[in-house]
Amino acid sequence: MFNESLSVIKLKNILLVTVPDDPGDDMIYELQNKVLSAMEKYESAGLILDISSVNVMDSFFARTISETTQMVTLMGGHTVVAGMQPGVAITAAELGLHLGHALTALDVDSALEMLNHNLANAV
Amino acid sequence: MTMDGKQQGELPIISESDIVACRKVIRTLSTNAGFGITDVTRIVTAVSELARNIYVHAECGKMRWNIMHQPGKIGIELIFEDNGQGIADIEQAMQPGFSTVKSMGMGLPGVKRLMDEMRIDSIAGAGSTVTIKKWARAR
Ligand SMILES: Nc1ncnc2c1ncn2[C@@H]1O[C@H](COP(=O)(O)OP(=O)(O)OP(=O)(O)O)[C@@H](O)[C@H]1O
Ligand SMILES: [Mg+2]
Repeated sequence: MFNESLSVIKLKNILLVTVPDDPGDDMIYELQNKVLSAMEKYESAGLILDISSVNVMDSFFARTISETTQMVTLMGGHTVVAGMQPGVAITAAELGLHLGHALTALDVDSALEMLNHNLANAV
Repeated sequence: MTMDGKQQGELPIISESDIVACRKVIRTLSTNAGFGITDVTRIVTAVSELARNIYVHAECGKMRWNIMHQPGKIGIELIFEDNGQGIADIEQAMQPGFSTVKSMGMGLPGVKRLMDEMRIDSIAGAGSTVTIKKWARAR
């Protein structure tokens, strides 16, 4: 839990972040910081947050994703949240959470397709 | 029965990392008690909201847990206690969107939807106790 760190992987002009199963607040802040600096450094066109391992999403986590998405949008990128587990989706809906302007996809593959499609249309 | 047969316990909520610690303990306990994956997620999410409320609004407190056995069913009871500023108007605090810290005000009303039972006792200036319960059919 203490040594765990997040890595932001660059795939062409897209950033991929895999979120661990039970991220603490530190890690959620780290996610936001790392994503924003990588967005700037690589001038990326999109961000994929792979949350397929995540087994709990509370209002703090949802709010940070929504804020990060907003910042990425201001920097000119699209955000796709990929792979939300069914139990997490049910709970999030019951809790009344939403992810702001983030797009959602079943898995990373479809998220990549979505972003590539978006980028193709934007040209 | 939980793994080691222990039926109750408590954890302090003092720092941010205690929120994760509470989630982990309750995930294991509720899984061992026989809750299904979706109910485990609901319970752990409720724990996260209430532990965070203590950390944010009351600074520190504790979470007590009880495993309850009744004919044909098993339950988990979680009690979040603090000696913080208390909640002046409980009905207002339960309204979606109400927050004294300009947050989303989703925590308390959301927890009520996730759990089977919820009760808030609070004395303004002296602290709050939030008790939640969830039941499952006994295995
Ligand atoms: N343990 C507590 N001690 C004192 N006040 C509390 C406590 N828990 C909740 N409150 C009060 O109830 C209000 C509503 O709580 P709720 O969890 O619904 O929203 P929030 O914590 O403000 O925002 P969110 O949980 O959406 O980030 C809080 O703004 C706070 O004023
Ligand atoms: Mg709250």
